[in-house]
Amino acid sequence: MGQTPHIAVIGGGSTGIGIARDLAMRGLDVTLVEQGNLTHGTTGRMHGLLHSGGRYAVSDQASATECIEENRVLRDIASHCVEMTGGLFVKRPEDDEEYFQKKLEGCKECGIPAEVISGEEARAMEPHLAKDVDKAISVPDGAIDPFRLVVANAASAEEHGARIETHSKVTDLIIENDEVVGLEVEHASGEGKRIHGKEGGTEEIRADYVVNATGAWAGRIGDMAGVDIAVRPSKGVMTIMNIRQVDTVINRCRPKGDADIVVPHETTAILGTTDEEVEDPEDYPEEGWEVDMMIDTLKELVPMLEEARTIRSFWGVRPLYEPPDVGSDDPTDITRDYFLLDHDERDDLQGMTSIVGGKFTTYRMMGEEISDHVCAKFGIDAECRTADEPLPGSEDFSVLRDYMDEFGLRSPIGRRSVERLGSRADDVLKTSDPNPTVCHCEGVTRAEVQDAIEQSGSDLNAVRIRTRASMGNCQGGFCCSRLASELHGEYDETIAREAWDELLQERWKGQRHALWGEQLSQAALNYALHSTTQNRDNDPADGEPVDFAAFDSGVSAGEASGTADVAADGGTRNGN
Amino acid sequence: MSDAQSPTDFDPVEPNTGEDFEPVDVFPDSNDFDLRPGADSCFKCSVCDTNCPVAEVDDDFPGPKFQGPEQWRLKQTDDDYEIDDSVMSCSNCMRCDNACPSGVPLSQMHNTARGEYVENQMSKTDLEYWRNRILSNYRLSASIASKVPRLATWGMNFGPARWLMEKTMGVTKERDFPEFATQTFREWWAERGGADASRRNAQQRREELGLDRDADKKVAYFHGCYSNYNTVDVAKAMVRVYEHYGYEVVAPEQKCSGTPMFANGMLKDARRHAEVNVSSMSDLVDQGYDAIASCTSCSMALRQEYPELFDIDGIEKVSSNTFEAVEYLRIHEDVKEDVQEAQVSGELAEEFAYHAPCHARNQGLERQSVELFRDLEGAGIEDVGESCSGISGTYGWKEEKYAKSMDIGEEMFEHMEHAEGEVGMTECPTCAMQMEHGTGYEIRHPLELLEAAIVE
Repeated sequence: MGQTPHIAVIGGGSTGIGIARDLAMRGLDVTLVEQGNLTHGTTGRMHGLLHSGGRYAVSDQASATECIEENRVLRDIASHCVEMTGGLFVKRPEDDEEYFQKKLEGCKECGIPAEVISGEEARAMEPHLAKDVDKAISVPDGAIDPFRLVVANAASAEEHGARIETHSKVTDLIIENDEVVGLEVEHASGEGKRIHGKEGGTEEIRADYVVNATGAWAGRIGDMAGVDIAVRPSKGVMTIMNIRQVDTVINRCRPKGDADIVVPHETTAILGTTDEEVEDPEDYPEEGWEVDMMIDTLKELVPMLEEARTIRSFWGVRPLYEPPDVGSDDPTDITRDYFLLDHDERDDLQGMTSIVGGKFTTYRMMGEEISDHVCAKFGIDAECRTADEPLPGSEDFSVLRDYMDEFGLRSPIGRRSVERLGSRADDVLKTSDPNPTVCHCEGVTRAEVQDAIEQSGSDLNAVRIRTRASMGNCQGGFCCSRLASELHGEYDETIAREAWDELLQERWKGQRHALWGEQLSQAALNYALHSTTQNRDNDPADGEPVDFAAFDSGVSAGEASGTADVAADGGTRNGN
Repeated sequence: MSDAQSPTDFDPVEPNTGEDFEPVDVFPDSNDFDLRPGADSCFKCSVCDTNCPVAEVDDDFPGPKFQGPEQWRLKQTDDDYEIDDSVMSCSNCMRCDNACPSGVPLSQMHNTARGEYVENQMSKTDLEYWRNRILSNYRLSASIASKVPRLATWGMNFGPARWLMEKTMGVTKERDFPEFATQTFREWWAERGGADASRRNAQQRREELGLDRDADKKVAYFHGCYSNYNTVDVAKAMVRVYEHYGYEVVAPEQKCSGTPMFANGMLKDARRHAEVNVSSMSDLVDQGYDAIASCTSCSMALRQEYPELFDIDGIEKVSSNTFEAVEYLRIHEDVKEDVQEAQVSGELAEEFAYHAPCHARNQGLERQSVELFRDLEGAGIEDVGESCSGISGTYGWKEEKYAKSMDIGEEMFEHMEHAEGEVGMTECPTCAMQMEHGTGYEIRHPLELLEAAIVE
C-alpha cells in the first residue's frame, strides 16, 4: 500500500482520543469524530480516579496490573492532569479482616506498592476520617482530570496532523462489498471549531479503516453495519462536594458494594458510585435516592459528609462488555477489562474494529493495542511513542512560581491556573492586557478563558472543561454571563446568547440533584440574580437579534424631561 | 444539612460560625486549622465585600470574600500552597462576620490565614515583621513606659524621635502617642486594698440596697492593657459602678487579650498571652465569677477569637461567660431606670458624639450606650453613624496604612463635626485615638458617664 492509510476514529472520549494520538504519532492520517464535545460521553462522567489497581487487586488481577503500569506512565506523560494524592483502603470494624488481608496480598501480587497503616496514622493523614476506622492500606491512587487529559491528547493528535471534529454525529456507515469504507457524518456547525449559528451539513468521510471507540454507544454503530455488539451499559451516580473533605483517595476495603469511594478532585471531592445496568446509555432514570444512599453510606467513612454541601450530581454509563458466553447477572461481576472486536474475524465485515470495555486509567494502553492492530492491517511497523512523549502541557514545568510578579495574579489563583495549564502557563498567562478573574470560585482568569475560546470556538461548555470556569460552588451563578461576554468581539450577540443558554442549561442539569441546604440557597440566589439583572426568566429580547442602533443615546440636556409614555419601572410585557 | 438558619435562632451573643461548624485541628499541637468546610456556607453574594471598610478605600485589597471562603477553598492542606500577601491589608475590623447572611466564619479564616502567612512566609528579619511585632506587643512597651510615665509620654511624642521611627520602623509620625498614667490601674487597685477591699465595699453596698450581704455577685475584671496603663479612669469607673450595684470585683492576673496580635498574624504571641488569661479566668468562672471587659475588642477576643483560634483547656467556658461591662449591667441590673432618674453635672454634663466600635457591633452592642444615656438629664448622646473609625488598632499606626485609615475615618469625622456635642464617646481605646486625632475632641468612655450619673 503506497499511500498513507486514512483511519476514521469514532468517539471523542479517552479511548478514541488515545487511539487518534497514537495513530497520528505513528504517521497515519487520522480523522476523529465526536457527536458532542470532547469527553461528552462516559469520559466526562467519571470520578477522576487514577487507579493504582488496588480496587481490582482481588477480583481482577489482570486489570490491576495494567492499572499500576499505566498509573506510572500517566504520572509521567500527563503530569499536569494528575495529582498524586495517594489512596487508602479503609477498614471499618464491621468489614471483613480476611478480605483486608486478601487485598494486601493482591496488591503485592500485582506489584502495587501497598502498606498497612493504623487507624491513628490514617486519621493523622485525613482528620475527617471516622474515629472507629481500624486500619488502612495505603496505595498510590491519584486524581486525574479527564477533561484536561483528553484536551491535551487532542492537541497532541492535531499537532501530528490529525483532524478532530466535535459536534459531528455519525449517521451511517458506508459499506461496500462487506467492507466499511467510510462514515456519513452530520456536523452541527460545519467543520472545524464549533461556532453557534454556523450552518451545519453532512459529510462523507472515506476511510481505509474505521475504529469504533464509542464505548457505551458501540452497539449503535454496530447496528448501522448490521453487527451485534452487546455492550452492557451500567450506570453509576457521582456526587460532587463543594470542598475537599479529604486530600487522599478514600476507598472502603470490602469486596464490592455501592458508594465506596471518595476522590479529592481539584477544589472538590467526588463521591462514587453505584452500578446498575441500563437499556439505553442516553435515557435512564436519575433518581434522588441514589444520591441519598451514597451520602448515607459514605458518611460511615467520612462522617462530615452528612452535613457537607453538595454542588451537583451526575451519572455516567460504563461501557461494560463481556463475551456472550460468560453471562454475568450482576453488572459488578462483569470484568473491567477491554476487548478488541475485529468485525472481520467476528462478523465477516471488513474495515472496522470496535473497542469495548476497559477503563479510563488504561486508555493509553488500549490505544496502543488497537493502533498495533490497525497498523498490522496495513503492514506498517511503527513504534508506539505515547508512553514516552509527554502531552502538551506536561513538559518540564514547576507550579512553584512568583505568581504576582510573573503573572500579576493573587497566590491561590496563580497557583491553580499554573496547575491547570502546566507548561503552557507562560504562553497563556503572560499578557499585557488586563487580566481579571472571571470565575472566582475556581480562580480562572480572562487570559485562560480567551485561550480556551481560541481552541474551541464559541462553545462555552468546551471552555468550561478546559478551564473549570463555572464548576465551583456557585455553579456558574456569577460567571456564566461574564463567560458569555468574553465571546464578544470575536462573536456577535446572537452567538454569545446561544452559547450562554447552553452553558446555563448544562450547569442546571447537575445542580437539580443537589437542591437542598446550601446549594438550594445558592440556586435561589442565582435565580434571583439571573432574573433581576439579566432578564433570564423571561427575556423580551430572546430570539431576535437586538437592534442596538435603535436605542437612543439617552435624554440630552435641554430636551424635555418626563415624557408621558416612559415607564421608569420598565413597564409591563405589553409595553404599557 | 445545615439549612439556612431560621432568623429566630439568631443569637448575636454567639460567635458567627454557624451551628454545626467545627474546624479540624489538622496537626495537633499547632495553630493550623482546616477551615475549608467553612466555605460551604458561602453563596458568593459579596455582601461582605460591600461592608469592608478597607476594600472601600484600597483598590488593591481583594476583599473578605477572596481572603476568606475563596482563598480557603482554593488552597490545600497537604501542600505548599501559599497565602496571598494581601491578607496583611485586612484590618481585622470583623465587619464581614456581621455582614455575612450565611454564617461564613470570615474573621476566623482571615486570622488563621494571616497567622499562617506570618509564620511561614514572612521573613523574621524583615523590619515589617518587627514593626508589627512591636506594635502588637503594646503591652510590653506600655509596661516599660509606665515605669517612667512622664518621660515616656514626652519621649514618644518627641518630634525627631517620631521622624526616626517612621523612617526606620514605618510607624506613622502623624499620630500622637497616648499619655501614660502616672499611676497604673493595678497600682491603684493594690493601694486601695485589692479584692478584699472590693468585697467589703460590695457587702456594705448590698446592705444599703437591702440585698443579702453574701449575695453571689462577683465579677472578674479583664481591664486589658489600655485602661491599666493609659485610661485608668475607665477602669476605676468600672470598679466603682460595679461595687455600686453590689458586685465584688477581682482583677486577676492577665495579659494582652490578643486583639492586636490577631490583626498582625502573631498567633504564637497571642496564644502565649491567651494561655495566661484563660487559665486565670477559667478558675474564676469555676468559682462563679463572670468575666467582664471594659474594652469591646478585649471582650470580642475572649468571646469569639479565643475558641475560634485556640484549643486551650477551659477556653469555651471563658468564652461563654465573658461580657462587656455595660452589657452585663443591662442584663442583670435595672441600670436603665437608674440612669433615667439620675442627672449629671460638672465635667461630664456634655453632649456626646458617640461612635460604636466595629467589635461592639459584632457583639450586638452598637446601640447600648445611646439607649442607656438618651434619657439622662444633664447630658445628651448622638450616634454618629455606622461607619468604621478606620484605625482598627495597629492598622492606622502603620506608615503605609495611615492615609487609608484616615480615608475610612472621614465619614465618622464628618458626622462628629455635625453632631451637636464637642466631646466624643466610645468603648474602644483605639477608636478613641482616631476620633480625637480626626476632630480634636476629648473622648470619654460610657463607664465614666455611668459613674458620674449613678455613683455618688
